[in-house]
Amino acid sequence: MTTALLIVHGLLAVALLGAITHQTASVWLPGRRPAESFVARFRTVPAASYANAIVVLYLLTATLGAIIYPEYRISIRVVLEQLGLRTQNGAFELKEHFATVGLAALPAYWVFWRQPLDAAHARTRAILTALLAFIVWWNFLVGHILNNIRGFGS
Amino acid sequence: MTRRALPVFATVFTVVFTVTYLVAVWKNYALFTYDAATGRFAAGVQRPGEGEGVAMYWYGWMATAGLAGLASAVAASFVPERLARKLWSGWSWLVPLCVVLVFSYLLRNYFLR
Repeated sequence: MTTALLIVHGLLAVALLGAITHQTASVWLPGRRPAESFVARFRTVPAASYANAIVVLYLLTATLGAIIYPEYRISIRVVLEQLGLRTQNGAFELKEHFATVGLAALPAYWVFWRQPLDAAHARTRAILTALLAFIVWWNFLVGHILNNIRGFGS
Repeated sequence: MTRRALPVFATVFTVVFTVTYLVAVWKNYALFTYDAATGRFAAGVQRPGEGEGVAMYWYGWMATAGLAGLASAVAASFVPERLARKLWSGWSWLVPLCVVLVFSYLLRNYFLR
């Protein structure tokens, strides 16, 4: 059961990673329209339309992470400590706290991305998006690396 | 809640939640403890005995911060509009960013030794 939930958690994280990366690129590196290349099209997505999906995906991913977290504490963290993998252990500790900070920032992120967009909050919107993108990337990479330490089904 | 009160509500929630969470982790102010080995919840901070259980405080820290954030945000949404307008929306990213940096500093020994 935990393995199935972990796979769904990972799939949701991939979707979230894609959405937040699209939005961050379109906010910080806006391209000209009409875009011709793949990279230019990546940057010219309508950023505001991603906000609701990002909020829902973040909540679902975090909720699933919270559900499978006890299994990590019992089965994985002990092994990391026994193997002396301090960096990996610390990276997960940061993942835990960063995920919570992201959850706390989510209401502000959602409010400042509501349509019609308020130009007065453009900088707040951009930095909140970048902060969430950093958290999502960190958590995705750390989760992926820790999952690979013991390997699937071990 | 009016549309104008939402930015104040959200900003105060984010700021109070993140700061309270940092303090809750630092001082271990968990509203409850979850024992991962037995699946039991207990009020407040419960430390397992030698070789017993796996106490998890993360859920309790989030509950502490969530309650503080929600109570503060509800209270802030009743602040008169002329005062609410003075609240800088940038606090909603500056405080979480600082909390991220503080956590990185607090946990630096995992990476430096």
